Amino acid sequence: MGSVVQLSSPEQEKRMQETTDMALFVHTSKEAIDGWNREKIVDALVRETYVDRDTADAISLEVEQQVLSSGIKMLTAPLIRELVDAKLIERGLEQARMMHTRLGVPLYDAEQMIMHPNKENANVPHGPEATNLTLAEGIKKEYALLNVFTQDVGEAHMRGDIHLHDLGFIDRPYCSGQSLEYLKKFGLNLPNSLAMAKPAKHPEVLLAHMVKFAAALQSNFAGAIGWDAVNLFFAPYLVDLSDREVKQLAQMLIFEFSQQAVARGGQAIFSDINLYWEVPKHFEDVPAIGPGGTYTGKTYAEYEKDAQRFVWLLFDVFKEGDASGRPFFFPKPLVHITEKFFKTPGHEKFLNHICDVAADKGNTYFVFDRGSTAKISECCRLSFKLEQSDLEDAKEPWKMRYSALQNVTLNLPRIAYRSGKDNTRLFENITEMMKITADAHSKKREFILRLLSNEKSGPLNLLTMKLDGTPYLRMHRCTYLIGMVGLNELIQYHIGQEMHESHEATKFGLEVIAHMKLVSDKLSRKYGMRFVLEQTPAESTAYRFAKLDIQYYPEEATEIVKGDLKRNEIYYTNSTLYNVGASMNPIERTRLEGRFHPIIEAGAITHIWLGESKPSKESLANFVTKTFRYTKNDQIAFSPEFTACKECGKVSRGLHEKCSYCGSEDVDGITRITGYFTRVSSWNKGKLGELKDRYRNQGQFKKQGVS
Amino acid sequence: MTLFTKSLCSACQDVKQEFDLEMLGIKLEELGPENPGALAHLAWHELVETVETKGLPILVLDDSSSIADADEIKDYLATINKS
Ligand SMILES: [Zn+2]
Repeated sequence: MGSVVQLSSPEQEKRMQETTDMALFVHTSKEAIDGWNREKIVDALVRETYVDRDTADAISLEVEQQVLSSGIKMLTAPLIRELVDAKLIERGLEQARMMHTRLGVPLYDAEQMIMHPNKENANVPHGPEATNLTLAEGIKKEYALLNVFTQDVGEAHMRGDIHLHDLGFIDRPYCSGQSLEYLKKFGLNLPNSLAMAKPAKHPEVLLAHMVKFAAALQSNFAGAIGWDAVNLFFAPYLVDLSDREVKQLAQMLIFEFSQQAVARGGQAIFSDINLYWEVPKHFEDVPAIGPGGTYTGKTYAEYEKDAQRFVWLLFDVFKEGDASGRPFFFPKPLVHITEKFFKTPGHEKFLNHICDVAADKGNTYFVFDRGSTAKISECCRLSFKLEQSDLEDAKEPWKMRYSALQNVTLNLPRIAYRSGKDNTRLFENITEMMKITADAHSKKREFILRLLSNEKSGPLNLLTMKLDGTPYLRMHRCTYLIGMVGLNELIQYHIGQEMHESHEATKFGLEVIAHMKLVSDKLSRKYGMRFVLEQTPAESTAYRFAKLDIQYYPEEATEIVKGDLKRNEIYYTNSTLYNVGASMNPIERTRLEGRFHPIIEAGAITHIWLGESKPSKESLANFVTKTFRYTKNDQIAFSPEFTACKECGKVSRGLHEKCSYCGSEDVDGITRITGYFTRVSSWNKGKLGELKDRYRNQGQFKKQGVS
Repeated sequence: MTLFTKSLCSACQDVKQEFDLEMLGIKLEELGPENPGALAHLAWHELVETVETKGLPILVLDDSSSIADADEIKDYLATINKS
């Protein structure tokens, strides 16, 4: 790619026209012009492939002949490579051709990327830094498909049988979850950093460490960076602070994480903060670390009041929104609702408070940890039950570091199309696709292990630092995500009904997911790796699969894909969700979708789209309590819609063509794409199609101000 | 009614041996790595977590309520056996 065709200067042009025989010039990737040298072809072939010197020599002669007889005036290194590759193909040396191939993008594509926004990830703003990111991602993607995964896996991805997420970040794990305790205990002490910082003595410094570390982690992980029990672990630093000072800290925390353009390609850090009203059981007796990284002599149970003060004020900030009243896109606040929550004094008021934010701005995620099992949401909606070894780690919470190494999603509707409505074939095909997925995971694991094996001198040196005696990335605790898109459409094609249309359809859906769960358990045992089912957020995958199926399976897919086919705004329903447009009572949707959640380990969620309606906080609090008590749903979020005016800067509720304040048409919508809030103008066509279809639950909740 | 069991579960065996389940109109579901149908059925009744914490057997009644203790299941079956 470094050698995008360069046109020669007039002098060179002249020189070449004057030369008759061998004076060919080659623009190389080293930004230099070399004279023609056939030996370079031979050297490259011998160095990069298994081709012997004689064959290499013969090929170089043939290419030289071709170049001479063609009358080409200006050669580029990529062109020579292509000519050599053609010779390798003629000789049937397919493997050598693959090894000798060049990665890069056509001129046209580079131009497109530089000029136009990237619609694949709505989270990336358009700009020179983002373009660098996209171009680099493109090369790493190709590298991954050719050099990390098997041909079967690569082809399955290219065809759209599966989707390997974040291929452009092949050399990083997927997401990371940790607690502030690591920073409180060890300070900010990163490999390669110019200065080392001792454990923070003041809350603002701890926050600065958190933000810096999050940015460092973002450049080592592809996806979300999650923090456990943030309000609790800050608490020992807040004891002597006034409410005003704590509020300021809350503001700083949210603004720091919500600022775009702070890091990688101007992409906000995809950050989750886990919050608790109560002191979680597994942290009650844990000795608290305070200023300067020393133990305060108290347990975390004794910091309940300060932890509550902080979480309350964080939600005050979420409620206010940014300077123009828009909701903050990041960090995502995940509030854990447990049995203990309902026993902790003040919970009613707090629940109303966070439901007020949910109704008004939508930020709050309600995570339900039922029963006595402790749970943690580690990153991108990946939550799991703590096992005995984790509970041991909880006594030293800096050890609680979790990561999902990769996320691979299955195109479920396609499996149905291929199975011809035959049950046996359907389940067999799902198993086959899961085997390919497991293979993809094991190759990614091998690759990451290779990168880690270079320890301090390797690219992932941050993840090999051993401040507590074990590497930061605890490979033995890594999970490997198996996601799914379009269960609803699989069922629709296979039995002729969508999941909301009959209990039979839902039951069959449960059987498909139960099958996937059992196969994933078997594969876990076989590979010695933790495969877990995940509800893929699928911001772009649901669109990609639908598009590819219309291309490869038009007969089957035309009636099945959702959205507007004429406008190409097509999509599949995310994961195991019900049709987004089905007019279902929200509690019914929460309950039915929730039946899938206990077999999907990686934090499943039900979205309740609010449109422009603004329910009362009491009605949402009631809904949340009912969801906890009477369903098995793991997590819910309410998503209102907004229109932000670029002219007058005001924000109004609902999606509108024009600003309701100044009438300007220069407006942008804001709502959740799936996993996060973002501007609608950045959405891909599939998600735009989905947005039009969403059932907005108008009139399903009591309105604000109506008792 | 459905009785959820698994192999290698002595409490499950007890219940199965003590009663003629078929005669009582009880469907048997054996959970295991080869039986996604049973797991799906359990999930439909929202009992996956109950089984994880309380274990098997578990009896689901026609009104979708459930009994998750082997002795209580036996007591219940004994009563309907009489009637
Ligand atoms: Zn305006």
